Amino acid sequence: MIHSLTQLAAADTQSGSVFTVLGIDWQMLVLQIIAFLLLVAILGKWVYPWLMKSVDERQENIDAAVNAAAEAQKSASDGEARIQALLDEARAEAADIVATAKDESTAAISAAELKAKKRAEQIVMDAKDDIAKEIVTAKKALHDETLQLVALATGKVVGKVMDSKLDDSIIRETVKDAKI
Amino acid sequence: MNTFAAFDLKVSIGAESLFKIGGFSVTNALLCGILGSIIAIWVLVYTALSIKRGRYNRFVGLVQWVFEGLLKQINDIIPDKKLASKIAPLALTAFFVVMFNYWLSVLPGLESIKINGVPILRSLTADLNFTLALALITVVTVQIYAVKYLGVFGNIGRYIRNPLKNPVGAFEGALEIIGEFSRGLALALRLFGNAFAGEILLIVIGLLASYAASVVLPFFMIFELFIGFIQAYVFFVLILIFTSLAVSHESGHGEAPA
Repeated sequence: MIHSLTQLAAADTQSGSVFTVLGIDWQMLVLQIIAFLLLVAILGKWVYPWLMKSVDERQENIDAAVNAAAEAQKSASDGEARIQALLDEARAEAADIVATAKDESTAAISAAELKAKKRAEQIVMDAKDDIAKEIVTAKKALHDETLQLVALATGKVVGKVMDSKLDDSIIRETVKDAKI
Repeated sequence: MNTFAAFDLKVSIGAESLFKIGGFSVTNALLCGILGSIIAIWVLVYTALSIKRGRYNRFVGLVQWVFEGLLKQINDIIPDKKLASKIAPLALTAFFVVMFNYWLSVLPGLESIKINGVPILRSLTADLNFTLALALITVVTVQIYAVKYLGVFGNIGRYIRNPLKNPVGAFEGALEIIGEFSRGLALALRLFGNAFAGEILLIVIGLLASYAASVVLPFFMIFELFIGFIQAYVFFVLILIFTSLAVSHESGHGEAPA
């Protein structure tokens, strides 16, 4: 260390030796300048263009990828919007269908109710007719039975058995008397 | 103080000559510089060829990532695309060569492997010849682009102004001249100082830690690797800033970093 520090101080006393102590050799300096410039020229001519081209290509690829990603994102957004529109449309259609179905079902129920009501009324009317007919039949049967009972009772009262032959003759006489 | 003397620690500011080829002195820094430059070339060529052939791996991805970051930095600092593409090879080469050569300073055997008492390993960035060469190339390149963009007289106008018409501007021009020299000198000395101090730091820590050096040194080596990256990046950014300032001088007078 001391040696190196004293080199400069010693060199100062000897004229023109500062450069020597610093190791500056003009021949070496020129050689190194030429060598470095040659290196720059060679690398600049044959090596860097390839590296720069690769960097440019990479940048182009990155740009292309970014653009593709942006386009994909845009198409995804468009697709999402389309899907949303379709969903909205489907929802509206479904709502319409449900509303229509509700209306139709309400109408069907009303029609069924009306039909059922009419049918019930018809059944009731038929039943009333049947009952009326049965009443008439029953009344007739009762009338006939009453007549028979009256005939029986009369027979017993008059001492003859009232049969249809006698009954007819009585009726005929009665009718004859009435005409006279 | 005697502790260091006991270690017989001899540090040379300049690179030391290992042997001579035809009168030309081959220094330890030059030897390391050739190795560092070969590594830088190999890394870049291998990456470029791998990309060309479509063979990607993690290493190629890492270099490509760094390269892409540096290119982005160039385009951010120099908005003019044409100028950016022209200055890019110089700035990128400076970055990779400085970084790999700086990283060579952490190679084991820094002070221990010697030929005729001269250590054969010395980072090229710890040789003032190299840092001065880089600084000269940067300053000259900046001047060339300044002349191209501002014209000869426009560029001269940055430094020389009529003191009678514009005394403040004339003073500013004089400061600009001093600034150009100081920027170049600062570029050279900053890198040299950091690399040289880093090497000395590793040697001193190695000596002080003694047997514990194998445990202690790796932390300092990682630190040196980090500093190497930072110094290469600083050099790279300063080349861009000086160029950007020189060509945009007509629109205003920006504060130039040292």
